[in-house]
Amino acid sequence: MKKRRIGALALAAAAALPTLLFSVGCASEDTVVLRVFNWEEYIDEGGEGSYQYDYEVNEDGSAPPIIEDFEVWYEETYGTPIRVEYSTFGTNEDMYNQLQLGDEYDLLCPSEYMIMKLAAEDYLQPYDEDFLDPSIEGNYYAQNVSPYIREMFESNRINKEDPDDTSTWADYAAGYMWGVTGFTYNPAYVEAEELSSLGWDIMRAPQYKNKVTTKDNVRDSYFVALAICYRDEIEALDPDADDYTQKLAAILNRTDEETIAKVEAVMQEMDENIYGYETDTGKADIVSGKIWLNFAWSGDAVYAMDLAEAGEDEEGNETESTLLNFFIPEECANLWFDGWVMPKGANKQAAQAFVNFMSKPENAVRNMYYIGYSGVIAGEEVLSYVKDCYEVDPGDYESEEDYVAYDLSYFFGDTVEEGSAVFYADREQAEERQLHAHYPTLEVTKRCAVMDYYGEEANEAINELWSRVKSETLDTWAIVVICVGVVLVVAAVLTAKFGGKINFFRLPHKKGYRRVRQENCR
Amino acid sequence: MRLRFSRKMLGIPYAVFLVFFVIIPMLIILFYAFTDKEMHLSFGNFIQFFSDPTKLSTIVYSLVIALITTAVSLLIAYPVAYILARSKMKKKFVILLLFVTPMWINFVLRINAIRELLGWIGLLGEANYFNTILGMVYDFLPFMILPLYTTMLKIDESFYEASADLGANALTTFRRVTLPLSMPGIASGITMVFLPSMTNYVVSDMLGNSKVTIIGKFIYEYFGTNWHMGSMVALILLIVVFLSTWLTGGFKEDETVRGANL
Repeated sequence: MKKRRIGALALAAAAALPTLLFSVGCASEDTVVLRVFNWEEYIDEGGEGSYQYDYEVNEDGSAPPIIEDFEVWYEETYGTPIRVEYSTFGTNEDMYNQLQLGDEYDLLCPSEYMIMKLAAEDYLQPYDEDFLDPSIEGNYYAQNVSPYIREMFESNRINKEDPDDTSTWADYAAGYMWGVTGFTYNPAYVEAEELSSLGWDIMRAPQYKNKVTTKDNVRDSYFVALAICYRDEIEALDPDADDYTQKLAAILNRTDEETIAKVEAVMQEMDENIYGYETDTGKADIVSGKIWLNFAWSGDAVYAMDLAEAGEDEEGNETESTLLNFFIPEECANLWFDGWVMPKGANKQAAQAFVNFMSKPENAVRNMYYIGYSGVIAGEEVLSYVKDCYEVDPGDYESEEDYVAYDLSYFFGDTVEEGSAVFYADREQAEERQLHAHYPTLEVTKRCAVMDYYGEEANEAINELWSRVKSETLDTWAIVVICVGVVLVVAAVLTAKFGGKINFFRLPHKKGYRRVRQENCR
Repeated sequence: MRLRFSRKMLGIPYAVFLVFFVIIPMLIILFYAFTDKEMHLSFGNFIQFFSDPTKLSTIVYSLVIALITTAVSLLIAYPVAYILARSKMKKKFVILLLFVTPMWINFVLRINAIRELLGWIGLLGEANYFNTILGMVYDFLPFMILPLYTTMLKIDESFYEASADLGANALTTFRRVTLPLSMPGIASGITMVFLPSMTNYVVSDMLGNSKVTIIGKFIYEYFGTNWHMGSMVALILLIVVFLSTWLTGGFKEDETVRGANL
């Protein structure tokens, strides 16, 4: 999601592309071409980082990227050769710009608000009606998607303003990855109890001055400021009420003028308190101890915690092992999704086959393992992967305090044997570490709200607000004084220049002797 | 008609390059700057820019940062270039190389290194503007040293001798001989440092933790959301740059030839 580790692996992908093209350069004419546009580093790319590396290596010792496996599978299943043209983007806005410039793709992977924007602007075509029918063979997405995600996609409308438009995310999008937002923090410096009492106000807390970062991204920072502004109102809601989710989402999607003014004031205070805005330096900075708290998407948080714990930096060099924790503010958090959508004119058959292939639980595990985010796919293989990572034997613990029964039934539902999605996990894992970020419990997700697309006008207002917060604004009189000053300087330079030209520089060479004489007379 | 080779044809590759990579992009920027979202002709962006104190302030801040960067670079580079150019030392190119080699190392790497260093000293996150300027000076210093050095190297020794013969002291020699004759180098050095330090937001993002916003970052952000405003800001920056180049005399043929002799 959003702009992530852009460095090393983007290069690797760029280097891999020509070889990919070359290897299929001689394919026959009836080869299907599938153009996929995805986030950077958002799919299994094979090699040492692959889940398959340990047991399924190629002859040359590498594990194949999942896309190659898809090409083989597609030809075996449908009898037609296929070639995937895979390209990547760094932000939702970059992707949107590429589309506007006329780039054509068969499958895109934007975040939820961008899906809503694209659908509202009529860029997308819906999935086949029987795509979500689990009884059809080969519909791996329908068979394996988590009931929780499915419900989410079917209940969120594309266009909330128009009561006649009843289309939902599920009509246009199939989920890929999901998660929540929170803070990674270094427990060596930060007390968990203190965080709970502060909530999102961590950003303005004087005890963390210059020790906390936020994303250099307007939507994430706007959400944080909203949560700070309306904390009392959010906490006054009854979490057991039927309309709790709607009410919470309504508060956290406010864009009226009064709200924008309040948010601006809060964001200015945040701006003064925080260490800085980052897109991908946060992970390194928290590991090195420059900062104590880092606003993070859950998938990135898992990745950062793993690296810090293993004592490695992003390039694989050894560093000191540090334990990091993840904190999701109790009052609310942002729930986000990235999903596959098909632009108009896409090859629907091949695109849907790609989504289905990625939704086979074993492939979902490969992708999750490689990129660190949580997939929307449930099923036995995914559950056993989660258990491999986090399940513990209570017999190993001396005290009952140190482990908990972790319940993920809401996520796995009927895709796994009943009751098997409850397992014992280490208490620290379940409450403040990787498991907490990777698969938050129902109690956590219930308090999360999805951020909608704000609409053209509100979007512009919020972007302007963002530039006001991030830039230093001078008083009008100062600007006037400076402008006058600049004009004076320009005038002075011009006078000096042209004055000099007439008297000194530009005299014809013939009369050069006069210049010398004048000089000597001075 | 038979096609005959003429020397003028050697210019064709450059003409093609010029049209596709300079003229057409400029026209596109101009087009976007003066249209609105519906692609109608509009001065809305222009008016909005000059009525928004945030945007004007950002221009002012960028100008100030660029001016300080240029001044500091000049103060450091001038004595170095002077000493190197005037010294009789045999291996002085080694010293020159020491100043220039950092330029051959990857830019991102250098900025990351200085970021680590600042974090180690404890300045990172504490003095964002200072860090930004420091990073820019560090990065652009070679662009100041080289033109100064090449210009000063060409000052004939006899000028100094004449100056001494006529009884000028060191200060007068500097004021009346060295400074005027090194003016072209100063002008081209200023142009080469001033322009990138107004737009290079990688330095301000990395060393100022994105809390320092300069005009380049503005353009980048607008191109994520609103190409028309982004083009307008780019166009205004172009005008500022054009004016400053013109004022420092960067367009005068004889001087650029000498000054940009890298």
